[in-house]
Amino acid sequence: MSEPRGRLLVHGDVPPALGRELSVIGRPIDRRDALEKVTGQAVYSSDMVLPGMLHAKVLRCPHAHARIRRIDTSKAAALPGVRAMIGADTAAGWHTYWYMIAQPAFPREIAYAGQEVAAVAADTVDIALAALQLIEVEYEVLPAALTPRDALRPGAPLVPALDVERPREGNLQQPVYVRERGDVESGLAAADLVSESAFTLPTQFHVDIQTRCCVAEWDGERLTVHEASQGVWNVKRELAKSLDLREDQVRVVVKHMGGGFGSKAGAQRVVHYAARLAMLAGRPVRLELTRPEEFLSHPRRYAGEVSMRLGARRDGTLTAIDADVLLDIGSGSLYAGRYALTLHQIGELYQCDNVRVRIRAVYTNTGPTGPQRGVLDPIATFSMESAMDDLAARLGLDPLALRMANYAERFQGFDAATASLPYSSKHLDRCLAAVADALDWARRDEIRDAGRRGSVRRGIGIAAYCIERGGYAPFSAKADVIARPDGDVELQAGVVEIGAGQTTILPMIAAEELGVEPSQIRIHHGDTDGTHYAPSSHASRITSEMGPAVLQAASLVRQRLFELVAPRLEVSPHDLIAADGRITVRGAPDRGMRFEEACALIPGKELRATGSRAPNPDDVVFRGFGAHGAVVDVDVETGEVRVVRLVTSHDIGRAINPKLVESQQVGGAVMGLGYGLYEEAERDRKTGVLLNTDVHQYRVPTSLETPPIETRNVESEDAFYPYSAKPVGEAPLVGTMPAVRNALRHALGFGIDALPITAARVLDAVSARTRADAG
Amino acid sequence: MSSDRAMAPERIRRVALTVNGEPRAIELEARRTLAEALRLDLGLTGTKVGCNRAECGSCTVVLDGRAVFACTVLAVEAAGRAVTTVEGLTGPGGLHPLQSAFIEHDAVQCGICIPGILMSLKALLDAMPSPTEDDVRDAVAGNLCRCGTYANTVRAAMAAARELREGAAA
Repeated sequence: MSEPRGRLLVHGDVPPALGRELSVIGRPIDRRDALEKVTGQAVYSSDMVLPGMLHAKVLRCPHAHARIRRIDTSKAAALPGVRAMIGADTAAGWHTYWYMIAQPAFPREIAYAGQEVAAVAADTVDIALAALQLIEVEYEVLPAALTPRDALRPGAPLVPALDVERPREGNLQQPVYVRERGDVESGLAAADLVSESAFTLPTQFHVDIQTRCCVAEWDGERLTVHEASQGVWNVKRELAKSLDLREDQVRVVVKHMGGGFGSKAGAQRVVHYAARLAMLAGRPVRLELTRPEEFLSHPRRYAGEVSMRLGARRDGTLTAIDADVLLDIGSGSLYAGRYALTLHQIGELYQCDNVRVRIRAVYTNTGPTGPQRGVLDPIATFSMESAMDDLAARLGLDPLALRMANYAERFQGFDAATASLPYSSKHLDRCLAAVADALDWARRDEIRDAGRRGSVRRGIGIAAYCIERGGYAPFSAKADVIARPDGDVELQAGVVEIGAGQTTILPMIAAEELGVEPSQIRIHHGDTDGTHYAPSSHASRITSEMGPAVLQAASLVRQRLFELVAPRLEVSPHDLIAADGRITVRGAPDRGMRFEEACALIPGKELRATGSRAPNPDDVVFRGFGAHGAVVDVDVETGEVRVVRLVTSHDIGRAINPKLVESQQVGGAVMGLGYGLYEEAERDRKTGVLLNTDVHQYRVPTSLETPPIETRNVESEDAFYPYSAKPVGEAPLVGTMPAVRNALRHALGFGIDALPITAARVLDAVSARTRADAG
Repeated sequence: MSSDRAMAPERIRRVALTVNGEPRAIELEARRTLAEALRLDLGLTGTKVGCNRAECGSCTVVLDGRAVFACTVLAVEAAGRAVTTVEGLTGPGGLHPLQSAFIEHDAVQCGICIPGILMSLKALLDAMPSPTEDDVRDAVAGNLCRCGTYANTVRAAMAAARELREGAAA
């Protein structure tokens, strides 16, 4: 495969081509961090013990909505072994930050059951817990709004949003987003059939197996925080702003991190508390959330209700898409202004001139919400792709044929400037074809009929997805590559290894550019000291944002080495290539020297180059595409759903490391299965208290529920990405739920439109259908 | 690792046990869990604690040949018994076949659940040299992996079992 890099998004000149076949990119090498992890040597923040370390615990309000009338911490403060306290009595005016959005650190009005009221640092965990029991708090318990519908009723209690207080009329977040193109009503009027569907999608908890844990130390000048975060630079900036420190006074370190999935993208409130307590006590402070605290307090996925109307002609051509979305953003989306954007993709997956998407986001007294793998894409995709299968059934068309009949080659936006734009690349058609091929789609009705045994029905479903990925503002990712005279090569990248392979992929890029083995590249990462700004490892953005910076930096080092080597070989630098650990004259592999010999020519201590990511252009649209297929058995007597097989095809561009890409896909699909079939918050309807704050009753998939998952990726060229490597991390979750739902629809002849599709929901739907048929 | 409980009177016990083949003696509070003893008293932080109440499996160690959740075994119950943790999996000859198979089959992502999964599988393979894939799934059914590596876990375990059998036959 050739290697187009003409549109690589870097500041300055695009690095010159290698002039040879790629030798590292595309190799399924083992991940770099695996050895430490399988031997138990990998140190996570929760494993750290510092001399004199204190332990912090957090007092939480038991009420869903309350005002703190009085708080008295004097008895707690007097307990021997208590070293520092902060809380609603002492922290007025102090703000914590999340995505740089200010939140009152300890507001007097409580927004959800489990919200923080005070934090204590003590010599031991036991003393800290005893101190919490000595804090006297008198609450005025207020009526709570626990669902969007409750919260929108006239006279509903006003939910005190966690993001910094602004005057609000009600619980409906402003502005209400309406995105529109064409004329939906005339599009619906022109339709031969208007197909209506309605969907309910629940929240989802991240359930990262390492609960949030940080250890903060303050030496009087500088704050060092050992964190479990997806982004050291995000945390650094948030803490500096909150604590009124210069950025160079804050160092954040994350060497290993036990699962994030969005929940650890920034600092979170408790990290600020730990830092503040360490500064007050003058001793290191360790703060670790318990599993129930993690359920109560960390920003979980948004829940949504979506009503869809699709207008179509008899041949399936879409004439209108009308979507009305009601989002439950809990006590604060902490993500203001961005959450609505992903839902626009309801209007992007298919060619349609008349589209309206209305999004109402509503505050409720149910705790914070925030990004989780795919953010809102699951809501958008599940609704659109389920509605498409409903439409196909009502028109008597094949669901795959309906999708292809409305295939969108180009991006259709919602204003004149974006009415028709090219994608950087799009091969969704090939993904759909690959999944259809794997499922033997043409024979799907035969397979369904042959799979019918007793009360078990079999179905086959497919779903496409389109998610907005490929880099985000501020587009200021930078990386350094340093070669030293002894042959040492170091990559400095301020990214966190979250388990997706960041510390394997980036050295592979540097190695490719320098013509050496990936194992020869050391990486300094997960530390704000010794690195430039890097984005958090979230939003599938590291390869697409840090990749170009690393490629450029390594390429600049190579060019400088060529300039050092060329005179020795009596050629021009342009005549040299770097390959197989050597720098040689193109076409004359015997004329050259080993890479280490070239490094020995470096004058001074080091040869350093910085690569810098440039912003995405406005006239090209960056997206991730793919398709999922599912074969599902459902027992109409027990309600049991068993996924027999999942197939996923992602428009990958090119995999830098196919082994790691496959792991991302399979892992994403497993989390999608949990969302689609098992995971559900149980909240007391009167008090608003979350009841299943544990992983026995909040059911995430285990080895027993996980079906065989096949990957059939589609490779192609995309000159905007490093070696054409397009984003992949979150997308594989997104198509899973609609593919399973559509397979169930195929099996049963009707749709089940509320997730998770538990046995109880299947039985309810089956009996409702039976009654309807009888009536 | 923090455990939420009220302060209780301290009752110190001396516990002698074998950890990764070495005799160890620890003085600890009677209420200390095995996971706490390993992590805090012996510095063996390879054993992770994800829930501290026998739900997630990340603290799994092998106790006298059986996989147990170290967060719900008291250290005093381990007196006189043999504990193997992930640190003890690596032998004098290098990595255990499970460890190398986990690397090769990419059964590791964030890694926090991996020590527990490895120890569940160590207990399985010691007792059952030729497991089926379903035996492997059953053996790790109590180990949650939110990265979703289960399929690769099964592949890696089957490969390790093969290698162990071939090693035993050679």
